[in-house]
Amino acid sequence: MAIIEAGIPFPPRQAGDRSAQAMAVLVLCAVLLLVMIIASLTVGASGTSLLQSLFAWASGEPIGLREKVILFDIRAPRTLLGALVGASLAVSGAVMQGLFRNPLADPGLVGVSAGAGLGAIMAIVLGGMLPPAFAVLTGMYTVPIAAFAGGWLSTILLYRVATRKGRTSVAVMLLAGIALGALTGAIAGVMVYMADDNQLRDLTFWGLGSLAGATWTKLFVAGPLIVLALATTPFLARGLDALTLGEATAGHLGIPVQRMKNVAILTVAGATGAAVAVSGGIGFVGIVVPHLLRLSIGPSHRYLLPISALLGAAFLLGADMISRTIVAPSELPIGIVTATIGGPFFLYVLLRNRGLLDM
Amino acid sequence: MLNATDIELSIGKAPILHNVEFQAQSGQLTAIVGPNGSGKTTLLKAMTGDLPYKGIVTLDGTDVQAIPAPSLAARRAVLPQAAGLAFPFTVLEVVRLGLTAGLGAQDSSLPQRALAHVGLAGYEGRLYHALSGGEQQRCQLARVLVQVWEPTRNGKASWLFLDEPVSALDIGHQLEVMTIARRFADAGGGVIAVMHDLNLTSMFADSILLMNSGRTVVQGNAQTVLSDEYLSRAYGCRVRVNVAPLHIQDAPYILPHMADLI
Amino acid sequence: MKNLFLSGATALMFPAFSMSVFAEERVLSIGGSITEIVFALGEQDRLIARDTTSSFPAVVEDLPDVGYMRALSPEGVLSVDPTLIIAEEGSGPFETIEVLEGANIPFVTIPDGFDRAAVATKIQAVAQALGVPDKGAQLAAEVDAQLAALDTNVDAPSRVMFILSTQGGRIMASGTDTAADGIIALAGGINAVTGFEGYKPLTDEAVTLAAPDVIVMMTSDGDHGSADQELWSHPAISTTPAAQTQSLVRINGLLLLGFGPRTPEAAATLHSALYGEG
Repeated sequence: MAIIEAGIPFPPRQAGDRSAQAMAVLVLCAVLLLVMIIASLTVGASGTSLLQSLFAWASGEPIGLREKVILFDIRAPRTLLGALVGASLAVSGAVMQGLFRNPLADPGLVGVSAGAGLGAIMAIVLGGMLPPAFAVLTGMYTVPIAAFAGGWLSTILLYRVATRKGRTSVAVMLLAGIALGALTGAIAGVMVYMADDNQLRDLTFWGLGSLAGATWTKLFVAGPLIVLALATTPFLARGLDALTLGEATAGHLGIPVQRMKNVAILTVAGATGAAVAVSGGIGFVGIVVPHLLRLSIGPSHRYLLPISALLGAAFLLGADMISRTIVAPSELPIGIVTATIGGPFFLYVLLRNRGLLDM
Repeated sequence: MLNATDIELSIGKAPILHNVEFQAQSGQLTAIVGPNGSGKTTLLKAMTGDLPYKGIVTLDGTDVQAIPAPSLAARRAVLPQAAGLAFPFTVLEVVRLGLTAGLGAQDSSLPQRALAHVGLAGYEGRLYHALSGGEQQRCQLARVLVQVWEPTRNGKASWLFLDEPVSALDIGHQLEVMTIARRFADAGGGVIAVMHDLNLTSMFADSILLMNSGRTVVQGNAQTVLSDEYLSRAYGCRVRVNVAPLHIQDAPYILPHMADLI
Repeated sequence: MKNLFLSGATALMFPAFSMSVFAEERVLSIGGSITEIVFALGEQDRLIARDTTSSFPAVVEDLPDVGYMRALSPEGVLSVDPTLIIAEEGSGPFETIEVLEGANIPFVTIPDGFDRAAVATKIQAVAQALGVPDKGAQLAAEVDAQLAALDTNVDAPSRVMFILSTQGGRIMASGTDTAADGIIALAGGINAVTGFEGYKPLTDEAVTLAAPDVIVMMTSDGDHGSADQELWSHPAISTTPAAQTQSLVRINGLLLLGFGPRTPEAAATLHSALYGEG
């Protein structure tokens, strides 16, 4: 969509113009995502035999309840949610890196992860103390709801702190984010102290992330939020490109910088908040995916943002397939998988940028 | 025309500009000169809206703060002093950023023409990071030119605000860049340039604002402003102003007074 | 009357149950003590999978492991194709249970508890779920009799502190309302730490104030000798009566805290460790 908006679907090849390259990568990533979606529906702890069931179902033959539940109540929502979460993490990372003009920035910088984490921890530890009426209302979704609310509240708080006379300073936001991180860490510490043995286990598993809890309900609640946030990103592309020259120059290029910052921060808080709420702490997708793409198609956000969404979705589906098959029938938390891939990669990024960071 | 009236500006609690008055006509190249720390760049940043100020800046009679960012961008481009890039864009991609601002001309051949204009033809595929300082400066100039390609549009002048456009350039490219600015003005556009080199200023500027300690010393043409008296007062050292012997008629050229230095 | 009520409840809770008794039944057991009870009931042939906490008897470790009981993945559970799931209280998460219910797989939650009555209740509940209530009643009676037979009356009960971990010099001890608290009571001891519920880190001063006569820990892999030395040299522990007599009891965690058929053995072992063979 962003590409059509650019008005140059298949531009002529020209030195310094990487659009054709980007289009090729876009098509490649779209195909990859399609493959991953099909694979994710057919691969699982119960084996790949379900492919036949899927064909059978598609051709109108009746299939067993167990197969039906695995395909439509487990794998389908999990695949869709995984794709959306992966897309939102990767795009949020790319937007943050553009906004902070730093290839190592991630959504955590606007406090959404810390806030969401604290929300989840508080829900896990204090959930039992909720008034019964409230508990009935939120039911088993207390943790996701609290995580989303926590992410939003901390983002709004940081944004307020960093905004003076209508201008938001990303530098102040970054520093305030560190302070907020310390504070939420302390409160989380209190919660951990109060937690009983089982709650501690729950906290650990939540922090490692998982798509195992994917249900249609979660998809219907988090999905629209993520889709809405992703839909705003094509409008950010031009501004983020201009922002690479600095805020002042972006303004001189006619970019409404402050409005763009507002939209970018709200987008990231929405997308990341929803993603973290339904999947827990999944790291590194937001750094690995955009950085990898910048190496191949360049930093232009017009292509970077949509392709990040595709590759992020494909990457997370791949990681999820590893997470649910490698120790089957048990399951490895997906955060471990992404961190195992992402950790060394992050280090590699740091090493590559060492010279730049020292400047 | 651009008119800045009674500009006051402080950064933190430090006052930088005091009651500065400044005018620039379209069709002219107006230079701002003065010693280091005299407030030249700060004045330019006030007029571009980068720094909050007290006073009024108008463009053709309209307060610039009342002009929406996109329409202002279509009429006025700003070349900053130093422009690092956060991400590895190619030269062509950087220059294309200028295209996004112009509301009218979206001619996709413009970036290449602009690059040829600033002597960077064939540099399209290079990474901006890999350019020398002077090449980066000219690349940025090409971007700025793309933004306001036509010196006048719909009967209104376009404006170039240049912050030390030749500071990193060799003498050949200095002349090349100043000639581009000169032609832009001759074609009806307005150019405002913060300058260090008084001789280049003398050769190319129609009007010069001389500043010292955040105040206007004088504004006028080269013959008026570039006098022994004004310059010595502004720069705090004695200088001798001479008349160029060559083809530039009546353009003063300036040499520091060696006796003071020895 | 009671039997009538139970079978009625069974029919309501597991509509597919009466059929599956005769079909080849595939039981998934979640929770170490539940698995022990299935074995004690002699129904282990029906087990097809277990969770990570099920490690006794050793042969159970040959069965597929569907993960930690509080973090079960729905497809992992379905992939072992169970027709009945018996789970300890607290198994989950809710989302997984919801999906399993959608797949019409009976999911029976066995209530937890940390006293003599709870053991019998647990055994009977598991036996009920397995469709062998008579065996359950018999086993429950046996285990209960063993517990009743334990002579844990002593003149001067020991003050016992159960330490879960000493990670980083921080003493994580058991307060009240825990399995550790329950087994200490069954063994005729007194929990030295009663100020809070659950397992919590204790300040050094609280350790001193608790003044335990004996410290109980779970056995772990590694060199107990040096671990013991480390414990006694802990500043707060070193002030306790337990340190003076070097009274430390280590018992397998699942045996000690499982509250299943081996609980009489655990209580007896702990009792004799506390008071000697007398």
